[in-house]
Amino acid sequence: MARYNEFLYDDIGNPYERKNLFLKEVAILEQRIEDGDGDVSALKSELKALTSNKKNHPYIKKLNDYFNEEKEFKKNVRAKVASKRNELKGKHSRRVLKLRLDLLRSQEAKAFYKKYVELTYDAELFYEEAIIKCDQITEIINFVEKNEIALKEAQAVKIDPIEEQKAKDELAAFKVEQQKVFDEGLESLKAKKKSGLISDKALSNEKTQLKQEMKEAITVKEYEIPSKSNKELKGNLKYQLSKGTRREITVMNSNISDLRRKTPVEVQKKQAIIAYLTFLLPGLGQLLNGQIIKSFFFFLLSAFTYVVAVPYALGFGNYQGQGVAGLVSLAEGGRKIDRSIIFMIEGIIAMVLVVFVVVILYSSFKDVLNVERKRVRGERARNWFETWTNITEDGFPYMVSLPALVTIMFIVIVPITTAILLSFTNLDPDHQNKFQWIGLENYKMIALGQGVAGGPFWKILGWTLTWTIVATTLAIFIGFMLALLTNNERVKGKVFFRSVFILPWAVPAFITIMFFSIMFSPDGILTSHLNALINSDSLIVVKNDPFWSRVTLIGLQGWLGSAYIFLLSTGVLQAIPADLYEAAQIDGATAWQKLKRITLPIVLFQTAPLLVGQYTFNFNNFSIIYLFNGGGPFNPTKYGNLAGSTDLLISYIVKLTMDNDYQAIGAAITVVISLGLMLFAFIGFRNSKAFKEEKL
Amino acid sequence: MKFFKKKNDLYLSDKQPLTVVGIIGLIITYAVLIAWSIAILYPLAQMVISSFNGDQGQYLMLNNTFTFSLDHFRYLFSETLYLKWVLNTLFVASATAILTIIFVSFTGFAYSRYRFKGRKPSLMAIMLIQTIPAFAGITAYYTMHSIISSIMPGFTRQMMLILIYSAGGIAGNTFILKGYLDSISTELDDAARIDGCSSMKVYRLIIMPIARPMLAIIALWSFIGPFMDYLLPRVLLTNPESYTLAAGLFTLINDFRTLNQPAFAAGGLLTAVPIVILFIALQKELVSGLAKGSVKG
Repeated sequence: MARYNEFLYDDIGNPYERKNLFLKEVAILEQRIEDGDGDVSALKSELKALTSNKKNHPYIKKLNDYFNEEKEFKKNVRAKVASKRNELKGKHSRRVLKLRLDLLRSQEAKAFYKKYVELTYDAELFYEEAIIKCDQITEIINFVEKNEIALKEAQAVKIDPIEEQKAKDELAAFKVEQQKVFDEGLESLKAKKKSGLISDKALSNEKTQLKQEMKEAITVKEYEIPSKSNKELKGNLKYQLSKGTRREITVMNSNISDLRRKTPVEVQKKQAIIAYLTFLLPGLGQLLNGQIIKSFFFFLLSAFTYVVAVPYALGFGNYQGQGVAGLVSLAEGGRKIDRSIIFMIEGIIAMVLVVFVVVILYSSFKDVLNVERKRVRGERARNWFETWTNITEDGFPYMVSLPALVTIMFIVIVPITTAILLSFTNLDPDHQNKFQWIGLENYKMIALGQGVAGGPFWKILGWTLTWTIVATTLAIFIGFMLALLTNNERVKGKVFFRSVFILPWAVPAFITIMFFSIMFSPDGILTSHLNALINSDSLIVVKNDPFWSRVTLIGLQGWLGSAYIFLLSTGVLQAIPADLYEAAQIDGATAWQKLKRITLPIVLFQTAPLLVGQYTFNFNNFSIIYLFNGGGPFNPTKYGNLAGSTDLLISYIVKLTMDNDYQAIGAAITVVISLGLMLFAFIGFRNSKAFKEEKL
Repeated sequence: MKFFKKKNDLYLSDKQPLTVVGIIGLIITYAVLIAWSIAILYPLAQMVISSFNGDQGQYLMLNNTFTFSLDHFRYLFSETLYLKWVLNTLFVASATAILTIIFVSFTGFAYSRYRFKGRKPSLMAIMLIQTIPAFAGITAYYTMHSIISSIMPGFTRQMMLILIYSAGGIAGNTFILKGYLDSISTELDDAARIDGCSSMKVYRLIIMPIARPMLAIIALWSFIGPFMDYLLPRVLLTNPESYTLAAGLFTLINDFRTLNQPAFAAGGLLTAVPIVILFIALQKELVSGLAKGSVKG
């Protein structure tokens, strides 16, 4: 059973005596009942009498009087402020007028609340706040007015053309003079250089320094020109007026917020209720807690929830679908133009919106609950200044990641979810418009290697793995070897070799692959070279022979991929300190030992994550397969009608999805390989140094 | 005279004198390096030659005669939409780079400098999501485009492409930038905070200037991406008017109506030259960025 506490506590746990005597009595009685201090039933009836007779409690009466007088007072102040505004209008700038009115309010408040300081903490807070304000606003007004007067004076200054001209002439003369000084200095420096006293480097340093000195002297002199100095002065004053005033006000607000933290609040409430009652309408709870600006923002979120998200999830305002319900029905029994895929995607978008709504409702609920609980304990709710400071500090990472998060949600999460869901449907050439849920059927087909689309899966997987391992390793081997050889200190023409070796990386891959594809065509130049080389009886056309196609592709990837590895390893090799090798040399290590014990470990360690990346890249290397030979040559008896003998899983998926409309089974394969890759990445990530060091 | 002669006989290098084995090794090294240079330059040279060879029709004739001509370039500019494709690619690439930088500079800063709730799980999620091939979502992209363009009629397929590129780049680039910022001590931001800078000001005045080299690299990579990618433009863009370079050039060799292999070689050459210059000039920066981000990531 929640009960009143005898003391109030602020956020660091300092206790404060209650000023509300009624609540204090209640709290003491409740405490005694709980402790069993005296006759419990008598205490309980006493408590009952006290609460039922609340209206007649002397403190409550006083408090009500106070409220009435406060209302009256507020009305009076409003009238006074209005008349003062009329009186001062036109006499002051807008900034000063506002400050003066604030000052008037604070002065009035100071006088009024002084009487009630002992009665309630609210009055105490207003009184202390008024003191701070009276004090600091006066200062701020002085500050602003002083600057305003100075600015006016500066603006009123008429620049005497004669003096201006005189100053300019002086400046010109001064420049000539300075130039002379500079020349003289330079002459003497040169003389010193000639006689061997200083070095070339020192000469150039001294020269720059002299030049700098001359420039500075001239800049200082320039401010003697009246127009120039006047302009500078005006700029300074304007800056002071805008930024300086704002700074002063921030200081005042911080003082007030300190005060708020130290002055507790008393509410007649034992536990939070508003939070539970208002959780469906974010903003209302904040309003009831007295946080007006904050509530405005939460009301905006409410508007988003009830105007956009919820109707969309229920199917209103959809492009074609039925909101979340569309996920179940998939346009079953709908019109002819209704497409299941649209229903599915709109269902997923609706789900994302629902997630947003849940997050909004929960965070608003949490916020109201938090504030309310603290108020029951005695802590004041934060005012807008404090909330804003809080948002810009603690909330900063969330605020700035929000755009990225929303974009990722829609552009990455929605499509991936679609792919996952599609893999449980029968979207194939026969069910393009309307498809149904079929459970794990697709995965079964893949696992057992059945059906038109699932048949070649295992064969393709086998080739994909072979390709990934052989092609990547070959590229890494070539790249590393080249880096090692080029890095030899005796090799001349390093710049030339390095520039040539990174060409395969620099020329866009799609261009080179397409060009190789042309050169390997039946009457292409490389086909004839190849045949001349192996000198076989029958003409070998690479693109028509599965074995030669695969070998060529692996070689081509070695050609393409090695450049990147070369560049990486070169960078690492150059960074290895030479003394390691010298020490090894002294200890009598052979070249092979140096390579094995020093070079390889360092290079491998530093580039390991990128090398792993190369393997995953090649696993999904669609463009080389597709652009070189379209996955061919085809071999229907072995691979069915859809896949060719060099197809990787990724290019097979592309063919299934884009060319043959087997989207569902394509999605299932995507899910399978994504899971595999994720596992791969996860293990690699877990074992990485960064993760272990908890630097995350 | 004698003095100088003696000096000539001295072995003055700090390298060890070459042995016979060393000489043979050096010769082999040169042989390998030169052989690989030829392996690289030969096909590229073929491309350059054939793009200038006027003795060809629709097909490349690589072992025939050579007559210098600019016909293929003329064809490229007058008969195809090459210029349009260049402009499209430039538009897509610049927009992608700008969007990526906006997203990533904030997320990288947040992940490097703040310890907030949900940081570690979200980093892990980012890490895993980026292993899923971009192609996984292709079926959805079509439909999503029609849904969005029904709300916003001005939403073109190119814009969809830009969104896909930049959203896809957020994850990896956040890691790279985070790794880079992690390697810079927080003293500067601490000092700025003590002097009263807000988080936004620290970002603007401290982090942005510090991270500029890495942001430049990220921008460059995001800019180059659309030049290299062939798959997404091919599936997403349907109108030749809106093609990017990769998709457009491909029509010159795979479509019978527009087949012209020498023009493809010419277009490829024109596309490759600026990129190659860029890569060779900036090779160190491009690689150091990658290495830094991933090693520390």
